[in-house]
Amino acid sequence: MAEVRPVPRSEAWAQAVAERAVELVVSALDVNALLDQVDLNAVLDQVDIERVLDRIDLDRLLGRMDLNDLVKHIDVNALVEQTDLGAIIARSSSGVASDVLDVFRSQTVGLDEFIGRWIARLRRRPYTGPPGPPDRLQSRAGR
Amino acid sequence: MTTRAGDAPLSGPPVIIRYSFQGKYAGFASRFAAFAVDVGISLCVYLLALAVISFAARVLTGKDITWNKGDIWVIIAYAVWVFIYFAHSWAASGRTAGMALFGVRVVRDDGTDASGRRAVVRTLALPLSFLFLGLGFVGILLGNRRRALHDVIAGTAVIYSWDARAARLRFLSRG
Repeated sequence: MAEVRPVPRSEAWAQAVAERAVELVVSALDVNALLDQVDLNAVLDQVDIERVLDRIDLDRLLGRMDLNDLVKHIDVNALVEQTDLGAIIARSSSGVASDVLDVFRSQTVGLDEFIGRWIARLRRRPYTGPPGPPDRLQSRAGR
Repeated sequence: MTTRAGDAPLSGPPVIIRYSFQGKYAGFASRFAAFAVDVGISLCVYLLALAVISFAARVLTGKDITWNKGDIWVIIAYAVWVFIYFAHSWAASGRTAGMALFGVRVVRDDGTDASGRRAVVRTLALPLSFLFLGLGFVGILLGNRRRALHDVIAGTAVIYSWDARAARLRFLSRG
């Protein structure tokens, strides 16, 4: 049977004081203020990510994971139901339509410019882009 | 380095314009393309309407109606329809379907929205621009404000409503 040594009274008292002191310090500590003073970027700069990654054996890690089992846990139907495929298709289609329209318009504006430059050349005048805008339109745009 | 539109060479048109021409007077190509589309749309709708009327008449009366393209009433009905198509579009929003497609808009010569009265006058004056081999359209090419004869008569102008710079930004953001 192990012999239980009685703890001296002074030692028990010192331990109680130490515990109380730590408790008071921790409660008085403003952790947020402390974290504000920590420069995380500087800390992260000192970490050599490459070295950390070198030490990780990804093959071994993946070998230990059963990916098929993981995929089985994914409810693909629920995922598809939650995804608004119609909106995605509509957004994509409208994006394509908008692009086509922009190309149409830019081609005709380019043709306008081409004609404008040739007319200016025939009239021996410098071409400085399309004229305008009308007075009232200009003042409205300037507001 | 940036270049101004006026410094650009006489080579082919750029796919996406670098500058916003919004509010500037529209050129001949945009206006002509929009007009061609409008003529196509109005003609298709009219022919469709004639076909629907023929079909309805056949169902209701059992008699076939054939439309003779040379018939004066068919021509008058088409003229009325074209008048309504252009006048209503210009009065309501300042643009027809073709103009919306090519990003141009009719405004008063001072830049404010075209009124119904001006839209009607512009539509009635439009055929005058076609007289003398389309002499009325020369103003679009040579005029300082790119106005055709019917624009001058109605006190209107055609401007770009499409923002080329915004289109370029959209294009780049999708990159």
